[in-house]
This record gives sequence, C-alpha cells and structure tokens, in this order.
Amino acid sequence: MTTTGTPSPGATRVGPARRPASAPLRVLTVVALVAGVIAIALIPLSATPYTNYQLSVVAAFAVAILGLNIVSGYAGQISLGQSAFMGLGAYAAAFGVTHGWPVVASFLLAALLPAVVGLVVAIPAVRLRGNALATVTIILPILAVPLAKRFSDITGGSEGLNVDWMHAPAGVGLDDDQWRYYVVVAIAAVLFLLGRNIVVGRIGRAFAVVRTNEAVASAMGISAHRYKVLAFTIASFYGGAAGFLYVAVVQFASPDLPNFLVAINMLAALVIGGFASLWGSVVAGFFYVYVPVFAGAVDPSRTNIFYGAALLLVLFIVPGGVSGGVSRLVRLLVGRLFGRRPPARDDDALTDPQPITSTQQDTAVPDASPDGLRSSVGPRKEVP
Amino acid sequence: MQHAIQQIVDGLAAGSIYGALALALVLVYRATGMINFAQGLMAVASTYIALTLWQAGSPIGAAVAVAIAVSLVLGAVTERLVIRRFEGASPHTAVVVTVALLILINGIVGAIWGYNSQPFPSLFPTGTVTVGGVVLAIPSLATIGVLIAVVVLLQLLFLKTKLGLALRAVANNPESSALSGLNVGRLLMVGWALAAGLGALAGALIAPKVYLDPGMMDTILIYALAAAVLGGLDSPMGAVVAAWIIGVSENLAGTYIGFIGNDLKIGVPLVAMFVILLTRPQGLFGRKEAVRV
Repeated sequence: MTTTGTPSPGATRVGPARRPASAPLRVLTVVALVAGVIAIALIPLSATPYTNYQLSVVAAFAVAILGLNIVSGYAGQISLGQSAFMGLGAYAAAFGVTHGWPVVASFLLAALLPAVVGLVVAIPAVRLRGNALATVTIILPILAVPLAKRFSDITGGSEGLNVDWMHAPAGVGLDDDQWRYYVVVAIAAVLFLLGRNIVVGRIGRAFAVVRTNEAVASAMGISAHRYKVLAFTIASFYGGAAGFLYVAVVQFASPDLPNFLVAINMLAALVIGGFASLWGSVVAGFFYVYVPVFAGAVDPSRTNIFYGAALLLVLFIVPGGVSGGVSRLVRLLVGRLFGRRPPARDDDALTDPQPITSTQQDTAVPDASPDGLRSSVGPRKEVP
Repeated sequence: MQHAIQQIVDGLAAGSIYGALALALVLVYRATGMINFAQGLMAVASTYIALTLWQAGSPIGAAVAVAIAVSLVLGAVTERLVIRRFEGASPHTAVVVTVALLILINGIVGAIWGYNSQPFPSLFPTGTVTVGGVVLAIPSLATIGVLIAVVVLLQLLFLKTKLGLALRAVANNPESSALSGLNVGRLLMVGWALAAGLGALAGALIAPKVYLDPGMMDTILIYALAAAVLGGLDSPMGAVVAAWIIGVSENLAGTYIGFIGNDLKIGVPLVAMFVILLTRPQGLFGRKEAVRV
C-alpha cells in the first residue's frame, strides 16, 4: 500500500485565507503597524552606527528568508539551498559595482541572474518530492563555494570582493550607515509588500493547494509542476535581491555567504520565526542576526545548541513558530477580553494553526460542481 | 596504468566510507521514510566518543567497538525521544526535524570537544603491499574489506534472521506489520540504532585521513546522500555500488581532468545525482514508487 493517505482535517485548509479578523484585532493590527513604521523610520536617527548596520543586515536576511518562506512555507517545497542564491546575488551586485554600473542595473543583475539560475534548476528539480528536493537543493551551496573560489578573476576567490559604494548623497544630512539603513529597509519593505500580494492572492492560494494536496491541485486545473517552478524562481529572485542588500550594507561579497550552514540556519530561523507567515520571516531575520550575537557573548559554540533546541521546541510545542505563537496569544487575549472563543489546535508541526471555518472546509474538498472548484481557487467573494 | 589502478583502489576505499554512511541513510529511510540529514553529525559524535576512550588509554580497536555500541543505544534513544513524535508527518516536517538534530548535535559536540581539529589514530597499520607491480596502501584495502564485511553481515541479518524479516516487513508496510503483531515502534528503533552504528564505523574510518572536527562529515554526508539517492534510497546494495562508483569516478575525474581538479571533484557525484534523479527518480536500483491518491 503506497497511499499518500487521506488529508487530515488540518490539511484540508486551502489557501492562506484567514478568518476575518475581529474588529478589536483589526484596530490593534493597524495601531501596531503605524507604530512599527514610525519606529522603523526613527530608530536610525538615534541608534549607534553598529546597531544600524545590524538592523540593515536583519532586513537583508529577512528578504532572503521571505523567499525561502515562499517556496518552503507557502508552496511546501523544502529548499536547503537559499544561501547559494543570496551569494550569487551578492557577487552579481559586487560585479556591477566594481564595473561602474548604475545602481539600478546592479540590482537587476543581482536579482534576475539568481532568478534565471533558480528557474533552470527548478524546472527539472521540482519533479522530485519532499525529501528528494531537499537533497538536490543541498547541492547548490556545496557547489557554489568551490565555484566561487575557482573563478577568482570575477569573485576574488577566497578573499572575496570588497566594494565601496552606497554612500549617503551630500546634502541629505545622513551618515552612511543611516543612508544604507533607509535604502535597504525601503527596498526590503517593497519586496515584503510584493511578497504579501503574492501569498494572499491567486498565486498564494494555488501554492497552498499544491502544498496540501497535489492531486486536488490537478483536479482543480492547477499545474503543481508549474507553480512549484514559479515558487522556486520567486525564492531565487528574493535570494538574489537579498544578496544585493547584503552587499549594500556589508560592502563585501565572499564565499562565506553561499555556504551550506548559512542555508541550514536560514531554514531553522524560518521555522522558529514562523512557517508560512510574513511576520515569521521578519522574526527569522532578527533571529538569524541576533542569536549568534547574544550566544557569542557567552560562547560561540552555544549558538548551535540554542538554534537546535529552539527548533525542536517549535516542532514539539509551538506550531507556527514565534509569529504563530504570538498571534495565537494575541487572538486568545483579544478573545478573552472581547468574548470570543480561542482557536482550536491543529496538528501540523510547522504551520500556524488557523481555525477552519465551515466555508473553507466545504470548498477545500473538490466537488463536481465547477462553482465549488472555483470558489476555493478563485476570488473568495463567491463563497456564500 | 599503475597510477590509474592506485587511483581506482583509493577511490574504492573512499567510496567504502561513503557507502557505510549511505547504508545508514538507507536503513533510516527504509525504517522511517526520512532522510536523516543529521546522520553525519551523529557519526561525528560517535567518533569523538572513540577518541575520548582512546585518549584515556584504551586500544583504538576496542575504543571504536565501544563507540559503535554506544551509538547503537544513542540512535535508538533518538528515534524514541524525537523521531517517534514525527512519524507520518509531512516530508517537510521530517526534513526540518533532522536539520534540527544536525544543528543541535553540532552545538553539543562543539561544546564538549571544541571546534579544533584533532588527530585520530588509524584502525589499520600503515604500509603498502605490492600486487603485480602495483603499490597499494593497506588502510585502503582494509577499508574496502570492512565495508564488504558489513554488507555481508547486513545481508545475513536481513535475509536469514527473524529480526531481519521483521525489519523488512515494517519497512514494507508498517500497518500490516502492526496488525500481524510486530512491535513496529521497537523495530523502527532498531533501524535507527543500526544506522547510528554504521555511522560510527564510517566516522572511525574517515577520521584518520582528515582529522576530527565537528564539520568532518559534512562533505561525506553529501557523498553519502548522492550514493543513497543514486542507489535508490531503499536499496542497501544499490547504495554501496553507487558509493563505489562515486568514489572511483570523482577520484579519476579529479586526477585526470584538469578543469575539475581537487576542488571541484565534489561536483562529479552531485551532477551525477542530479542527472539520475531526473531520468530515473527511483535511482539505479530502487523500486519505482507508485503514488496513489
């Protein structure tokens, strides 16, 4: 018997569509969002240059992890190679800078070259499932490091490439670290907005169906293969863009970036931050940058113990990671305060348990009527 | 020609080490349907145990034997405490669980033994033998011999013993095995235990060549993964044959193809794995998997 098994109740959720948030929750979200934007805009003016530098690196890694999230969290295809795309983007950006390209051209090269490589790798690779895809994607960072060292005319070999750019324009009145912070965070914000639109829109719903059940996807006329390639390509694009941001902050591209352990730790940070959650990618960015800093204050070798233990903790008791846990806590508190029932638990160890509404459950199982099919992939307005 | 034969024997010896770890991966995959990305670091931990015993004055052979025995227990404990919770989970959860183990064991090993490289004594006497004018290193020949012995023992275990029959039954169909009264949980523990023991052996074989540090098995794991995938994940013989093919081909390619050289020779098995997965996803020796809905 080689059945894939009938989907568990939790797996019948189709689409990241959430229960419409309650009014107090919506107000809370808007307030938090506005406060967050103001804080993000004001922090660099008073923080030390080193803090600005760290926060900018956080933004770069958050973008890379968002890309990983799109392919792994939303589309359900585990990639252990995201650092290779980030490294490629970093080298491409550094190449553009050292050859005197305009910044926009460097950005396009840094984002599009990895996207093309990702597309070429994905077309054959996504034919493999779960385990096998992860195995193949490990190849990318393992090959990227010796390749980067070999083509030392372009990459600077083991030494890497130093660049000197992204200085604050005269007359703006900002220091370099502040200017870089604003540029990097602004680009990251645009990429996050773009990512949000991808994952909540038609493509995101298709990703969710592909992730939950490929057979259902093809029954709905969604080509699992095509959407997996798309997810992988988007992830590579984000990886490359993140490489650009990294070089903008760090002014350096080296073989330390497209490393196997970097890719592994990005995946770990993503799961800890929250699978299939935009906030999760932000939390993961902070986690990726700050855990080594804090752990390193005690002892460098403690970083991995902390990472591994936190990852197991998430898998065992906090499905959805930090962002899932916090959002569940908020929902619980809001529910207590305003008299709503707390959401039910779900058994997937990775994704944030969203309560299943009756309409979602009905539309998740494809029935013969074309309306039933359309309602779960098409515009959600049609759901009664 | 003599040089080529030496390269082939060295390749077979390297392939035997990849093969031991690949066998471990296959055992775990057959038992629990997971690719254990932490298998390499579990092997590193075992090798450190052997090193500690040896430094305390035990002969190296006994130290390795004890380390293998301890690893059997640790493998079973890992299955029981961690993996059991995630059996039947989605593949991406399974990948993340073993990645978590990888990172955690890396941290623990680093905390106990540090990140500096340490020399590890060879299990075999150094020296050479001359066969028909070709000078061959004794450790290489012995390594190949050890792997062949392991394969024979495993085949005997799987084909001639009741435990082996039960292990095969559980790998084939856990539900029916449970209905026939087999203790599936305990058998899965046995699978993980055997895998950990094999990993310990692989670690003790490679450590004298490359020095022992927590990252020692990272590359070996990649070769082993390639071998396991090439051989078709559920085929122990396939994994070993593929590991030998990989060991020999990368050694020859690294030596005789100028562009590849020593730094890019790891690309040989990886590209081979990629091509095989695309043309024959079930591997060279694996069974084709039918997915029913």
